Amino acid sequence: MIVCKNLKKSYKEKCVVNDLSFEIKEGEIFAFLGSNGAGKTTTIKMILGLVKKDAGEIELAEGINIGYSPETPYFPPFLTAYESLEYYAGIQRMPKEERRKEIPLLLETVGLENNKTKVKHFSKGMLQRLALAQSLLGDPKLLILDEPTAGLDALGRLEMMQLIGRLRDKGMTILINSHILADIERICDKGIIIKNGVQMGTWNRGEENEKSLEELFLEMVGGEKE
Amino acid sequence: MTIAMTAFKEKIRRKELYIVSAIGILVLLIFGTGTGTLSIDGVPITDYTMLAPILLVVLNALACILAFITSFSTIPNEYERRTSHLVWIRNVSQARYHGELTLANILAGLVSEAILFVVLFIFMLTNGRVAELWRLIPVYLIIAINVVIVSTLTGMLSIVIPKTFAASISVVATLVGIFHGLLYLLKDVIGGFGGMLVKYVLKILPDLHSIQSQAGNVLCGRDFDIHTILVGLLFAYIFTVLILVLKRKEA
Repeated sequence: MIVCKNLKKSYKEKCVVNDLSFEIKEGEIFAFLGSNGAGKTTTIKMILGLVKKDAGEIELAEGINIGYSPETPYFPPFLTAYESLEYYAGIQRMPKEERRKEIPLLLETVGLENNKTKVKHFSKGMLQRLALAQSLLGDPKLLILDEPTAGLDALGRLEMMQLIGRLRDKGMTILINSHILADIERICDKGIIIKNGVQMGTWNRGEENEKSLEELFLEMVGGEKE
Repeated sequence: MTIAMTAFKEKIRRKELYIVSAIGILVLLIFGTGTGTLSIDGVPITDYTMLAPILLVVLNALACILAFITSFSTIPNEYERRTSHLVWIRNVSQARYHGELTLANILAGLVSEAILFVVLFIFMLTNGRVAELWRLIPVYLIIAINVVIVSTLTGMLSIVIPKTFAASISVVATLVGIFHGLLYLLKDVIGGFGGMLVKYVLKILPDLHSIQSQAGNVLCGRDFDIHTILVGLLFAYIFTVLILVLKRKEA
């Protein structure tokens, strides 16, 4: 579905992504693991075309439609969840008939159906779920989720993980950027561990690992286990 | 037009717009209804043909300030909030994105201008100028050129340079435009390098004062200079084209 080869990106003198290569296959849930500032978000932005890469290749399956949920989603505060989705559907020029069918289904998927509350009164969890719903508009084949559980409480995290799990069960390909290892271990198939823009290693759910993801991560990124 | 309409709805919900409009209406009402008196060399100005253009000077300044307020943060905020990410990934060109946001700015500026024009309407009614009320339409449209110039200039600058810097330049350009006539007189008084600088600055920046003067002429039934209005429209056109052409490197 997506192949990245030798990606590089620098801001002025600082190299934030250095020679990063990975492949995500159809139906996989792939994780970017790393501390803050590791280069995960920059890599995502390069895939999405929001940031120009300095070097390397990004091969996407032909005609692929990508959905993206940002780490800190912003929606016009005076809109409801339905209106917010209608806004983004309008931007991507989705036909009105299609919108009328799809938006209620998406709101139901993320648990925001029949919600007349304005976005300004939304909790962090509701905002994240709305961000996920907007990323699903137009039935994307690849979903990129940037820190989908950031700032959520335990229940919010659990609900978000269940939601992503349901999307996985539907066969969706998902790329998750997170530094919450427990979430990744629960839901992802494989991933790469990044430190200072450099790929330190890979993690595969299927592999017989002697070490837990937490141990593997600490070994590669550095730090002490609590 | 989805982006423009939503951005417009967001703008007209801003409190600053109504606070500045309310202050403006108050100032205009004080002078326009005779509650306060304007005097030049101790002689009070009560004559309609003298007072109307002065009211228009204040109204123009307020309309331009409101156009700046509604415009300076629109595009930078979209990038700061990362809303741009969700727009760019939907294959929206920067020209369409920036163009629609600017359209929202202009619409909000024109609404503010319309609010201020209520005072002029009342002023004309209280002065028994009912038969001349139709003149408010061309006067509104001429002042609207200034609103469009300020909105597009501010928007254009905010695409290519940081928010605070762009806002500062835009404020200076707006003030120079509003006080263009006064600064033109001062350029000879200043002399030297300062005078030369003022002279060149006045040449490259839009003359909002002259455009407003033409609106004053129309309001009072005098002849107006179409050339000044065309130059104003040319500035608005150039800034609009630049908004559509200039690009941000990254979202």
